[in-house]
Amino acid sequence: MNFLQPGTKDGPSLRSRTLFTGLGFFLVLAFFVGPGRGTHGIARAQEPLAQRERRGKQIYVQGTAPSGKEILAYLGESSIEVPGSAMPCANCHGLDGLGKPEGGVIPTNVTWEALTKPYAVPHANGRQHPPYTERGLELAITRGTDPAGNKLLNVMPRYAIEAEDLGDLIAYLKLLGKERDPGITESKILVGTVVPARGALADMGQAVKAVTTAFFAELNSQGGIYNRQFEVKYAETADTPTATRTNVERFIKEQQIFALTGAFIAGSEKEMIPLLARQEVPLIGPLTLYPQIDFPLNRQVFYLLSGVDGQVQAMIHFAAKKPEFRTQHLAIVFPHTEINLRVVEAVKEQGKKDGVSAPQAYDYAPGHFDVAETVKQLRYHNSQVVVFLGGTEDALSLMTEADKSRWYPNVLLASASGGREIFGAPVGFDGKLFFSFPTSPADQSPDGLKQFQALAEKYKLPTHHLAAQISAYCAAKILAEALKRAGKDVSREKLIQTLEGFYEYPTGLTPAITYGPNRRVGAMGAYIVSVDLKEKQFVPASGWISLN
Amino acid sequence: MLTKAIIVALVFGLVSAAAPAIDSSLLSARGQKKPRQKVQRQVARYACPMHPDITSTKQGKCPKCGMRLRLVTVKDPVEAPASTPAATAAKEADDSTGFSSSRVPDVKVYDQNGNRLNFYTDLVKNKTVAINFIFTTCTTICPPMTATFRRVQQELANAALDVQLISISVDPSTDTPERLRDFAAKFKAAPGWTFVTGDKAEMDSLLRALGAAVADKNDHTPMILVGNDTTGYWTRTYGLSAPTTLVKVITAAANHK
Repeated sequence: MNFLQPGTKDGPSLRSRTLFTGLGFFLVLAFFVGPGRGTHGIARAQEPLAQRERRGKQIYVQGTAPSGKEILAYLGESSIEVPGSAMPCANCHGLDGLGKPEGGVIPTNVTWEALTKPYAVPHANGRQHPPYTERGLELAITRGTDPAGNKLLNVMPRYAIEAEDLGDLIAYLKLLGKERDPGITESKILVGTVVPARGALADMGQAVKAVTTAFFAELNSQGGIYNRQFEVKYAETADTPTATRTNVERFIKEQQIFALTGAFIAGSEKEMIPLLARQEVPLIGPLTLYPQIDFPLNRQVFYLLSGVDGQVQAMIHFAAKKPEFRTQHLAIVFPHTEINLRVVEAVKEQGKKDGVSAPQAYDYAPGHFDVAETVKQLRYHNSQVVVFLGGTEDALSLMTEADKSRWYPNVLLASASGGREIFGAPVGFDGKLFFSFPTSPADQSPDGLKQFQALAEKYKLPTHHLAAQISAYCAAKILAEALKRAGKDVSREKLIQTLEGFYEYPTGLTPAITYGPNRRVGAMGAYIVSVDLKEKQFVPASGWISLN
Repeated sequence: MLTKAIIVALVFGLVSAAAPAIDSSLLSARGQKKPRQKVQRQVARYACPMHPDITSTKQGKCPKCGMRLRLVTVKDPVEAPASTPAATAAKEADDSTGFSSSRVPDVKVYDQNGNRLNFYTDLVKNKTVAINFIFTTCTTICPPMTATFRRVQQELANAALDVQLISISVDPSTDTPERLRDFAAKFKAAPGWTFVTGDKAEMDSLLRALGAAVADKNDHTPMILVGNDTTGYWTRTYGLSAPTTLVKVITAAANHK
């Protein structure tokens, strides 16, 4: 066989077609015994290129084919078989095609220009070959030989892959390193957010929209980042989580959003987060109380502050360290919801770490809080430290009930349920009522505050919903910082990797932000404050409790 | 610099000494053929971790910063710090590696199921082991190395050889037990193959002791450490060799008298 023959675009032989239309098993046979000529570029030649290349990209990056046909990799002389997904091209050759040297192995640069250099290409080990053609690439991928017939290094597997999938892959290779993620050009970058537009939260949505618009307008007025101007687009939540997902999915596609910031996903976490993972759109600082940080991680989503689970963990840590608490029976009372069950799990984990005995758990159906029975049970077990996950109203009725019998256990509440109503608690709980906060005014540096105030003044930001505004503002600030650090040649993947490198980044308004390969909550921990019921104010009860 | 040069020479020498186990791909992978070097005999030498120019033949402290000097090279493993449990049990180490069971620390580690283990007592003691070094976000050499290890495991099982396979993470701060479990599942690792991670400091001491410590995880070498703790025979080999070659080396270790 002549390996120097230029790529054949003029159709497959009948024989190769029969060989390649079989199942993976036959493909394996084909590459061991048959000549195996490719059939790429025929069956789907009419389709727009973008489609083929998109399919090829999945093969390149994930080692699986959108066609659903199996891809197998065979390694070394003994043909160790592994699924293609364990050794996709991008593993070694990198998302940019330049190759990721490791442990003395230097993968070839597989960008089209490098492969098709019009002269004999020498490699570091002395291997030399004429330029690759499509045909040559097929042989390299399926048989492990270069255009000169040299064997490739034994860590380059030979792939059993359907001819059409192979064609898709090669179509993508021609583009590799030149493509750009959606929503980014030389002069523009598209950032999106999701705001609630109807109902009780509409006002907050307006405030978030205003601060996000202002932040990027200000950034643009300073020249943008690497000469790129920001364009901010908005999507709105709908009445149901699934409808919101549909909205946002359409939004990302139609508007070509590069990344999302400060999106309101509270209540639709389960729908939104898998969507972002699927669309590979990074989201920084979503507004939610329930970060989804279970293994395996959703790589795309970076949270600012601890959610309820993190805050309650901090409470447990606080209780375990406080001398007058640590000897007491710990109880947790919560409305029975899926989310709360996970919080309770987190509490148990934290209890183990802090060496306190597992808390007694009492659940109740949401909306059906039998407060008399709960207090009876708590008293019976002499639970002197009660972590309460229900709303403020339920918390107040619990304390009122306990007050009737002059029983005052310590009550710990997550800030989620916090409003000023809490100051209406029976005075007997003075000094016994505790709140967790994921951030505190102590985190606000003079500079951070000054910057925010200047922005608020210049753009006439609303004066209400400050917490939501600050959250959205910090999310945008982190995104901007990450884009600066990632460099001009940025992609979504690069943005994610850059964020994973954030260590103690001061936003000026929240605790310092740290992310990592296994960490998606920027400020993991909480403050505990006690409630002064006489003066009606919060009093710090702890410093920053870090949960690292 | 001198210390580094010596370590490089030593490691390279060790790899060369296991020459039968190395196929030509090592040399081609490195980019150029280098003449093989003989293992140099070394005397015990201690150096400051911060000031490599401060060296001594005795234990002590660095006059510049006061840090405890660390062992850099040894002539005879018996001279190694006696903090390890098997120091007396270990027999004469194989000369080609300068490595012995007494150098395997009994640090606390986690396996891929989150169990807490003592590295030496639970994984190495009285066993024949093959140890490679991986990290789960390593994409270029770890997948082929792990796939090869899987094949080795199958062939050893076919030959009814009882050998423990161990994959140690060189990136313990990223590699949680969950990540290791995922990685193991991807390559269908069977029981008898332990993936190991742990606290950074302990893992660093483990990696240093096993000669696999690197400053940049991407520089970690595809090296496999093979040992028979019962007889005290240890050798190193190239992790990207053909599985049959590895099986030969491991079988030799298992049958070592």
